[in-house]
Amino acid sequence: MKNLHFKDTFKNFLFDLENFITIYDKHLHVFNYQKLDKLSEKEIDLIIDNKKVIIEGNNLVVKQMTKQELLIEGFILKVEFKYEK
Amino acid sequence: MKNKSIVWVKIKSDKYYNLLLKLNKIGINVLEIKKDKNNILIKTYYEDYKRIKKYLISYKVKIVSKTGLIKYIEVAKKYIVFIISIIISIVLLFIINNMIFKVEIKTDNKKVEKLLIKELKSYGLSTLKLKKRHDKIEVIVKEILDNHKNEIEWLEIKFDGLIMIVNVTEKISKKEEDNYENCNIVATKDGKILSLNLYRGVALKEINDYVLKGDILISGSITHNEEVKDIVCASGEVYGEVWYKVKVEVPFEETITKYTGKNRYNLSIKVNDNIYSIFRSRVNDKEEDVTNLYKLNDFEINLVKEKEIIKDKNILSEEEAYNKALKLAEEKILLMLQKEEEILVKKVLKNTTNNSTIYLELFIVTKENIGELQVVKEGL
Repeated sequence: MKNLHFKDTFKNFLFDLENFITIYDKHLHVFNYQKLDKLSEKEIDLIIDNKKVIIEGNNLVVKQMTKQELLIEGFILKVEFKYEK
Repeated sequence: MKNKSIVWVKIKSDKYYNLLLKLNKIGINVLEIKKDKNNILIKTYYEDYKRIKKYLISYKVKIVSKTGLIKYIEVAKKYIVFIISIIISIVLLFIINNMIFKVEIKTDNKKVEKLLIKELKSYGLSTLKLKKRHDKIEVIVKEILDNHKNEIEWLEIKFDGLIMIVNVTEKISKKEEDNYENCNIVATKDGKILSLNLYRGVALKEINDYVLKGDILISGSITHNEEVKDIVCASGEVYGEVWYKVKVEVPFEETITKYTGKNRYNLSIKVNDNIYSIFRSRVNDKEEDVTNLYKLNDFEINLVKEKEIIKDKNILSEEEAYNKALKLAEEKILLMLQKEEEILVKKVLKNTTNNSTIYLELFIVTKENIGELQVVKEGL
């Protein structure tokens, strides 16, 4: 029988621990980010769960920004993950 | 509880990305952003607006528009005098509308009037007191009637605007009725006696005797050898045959009302017996069932169930019209009869018909209680 990770699922259900990035046509949605490092028209840097996420594109603008979520609009060219050693 | 009112905030800055980074650092929730030449408009919570004002001192920050509770508070502050005066007016109107300004007790008996004023006061129903609900009034009336069985026969309390009207019927002591010393049972109609049950007194008529209206049937004077030995109040039941001539006419053409089964609901307002429909009626010929939803003095709101009907014309055959006329005549007589009274004989005396109507004249014999108590007044 497969391990269903009840404990982790329940914890996540209660505290929203999981983070994810969803990429749409002209939008990018980030859930559970820790820090917004850099913000410019061409690049947005984020820290998510001890890894750096670099979003590169053109005409990048923030549509919505809360403590947990970030909604970016623009032409997204690249999403890069950098793991800290 | 956190104030979740949302505001649009205008921040003077042309450095869009710099400003957003700063907002992010101080933990501001930005729900929507708009940008013009030198200003950035952000939609955020009122709590966050206060944080921006606190931490971004060098920026010019201004609220453009508000939503939610904060907006209502602002409007309330602006129109505070108007709102308070409206509230006071409504409260005053409610109080005046529900207050008793005058109590009218409709009786000539001062003793009963005093008694009722005292009783109603004890239930909080006097001048400058609030009116009570209909169900409470019913309970009060019942309690007063129970407490004063010997003084009050019937009591009704109703409100006409600001006036409380108390209709009362005093109790006539039953002892007075029973105290008749001399009374007779007399015939109320002409007829033939069918049965006679004597409880007290002397029977002056026998079964199968013909009597006229006003004849004494049972006398309260007990005589022996033409000398009155005792005087009592006569009592008994006398049933007799009574004869009637009844004329009825029935037209051959009659209107029949049929329900189509189509029902529509409407609301109506009733003010001082004038009825106004709120919506336009959606059925042409209708019958209405009215249910009361709200009532305050002469003002009523009613739910009206409109049942669509079709009126058809029906032509009766001569036989059908004849039977209908017989039934009508019978019903006419039955309306006058009491529980143990009945129709004994029914005969058609005359039957005439013209183009549109049938005319019947009937002779009907009934069995009825023809005896009635009559008090013999002294000196008569």
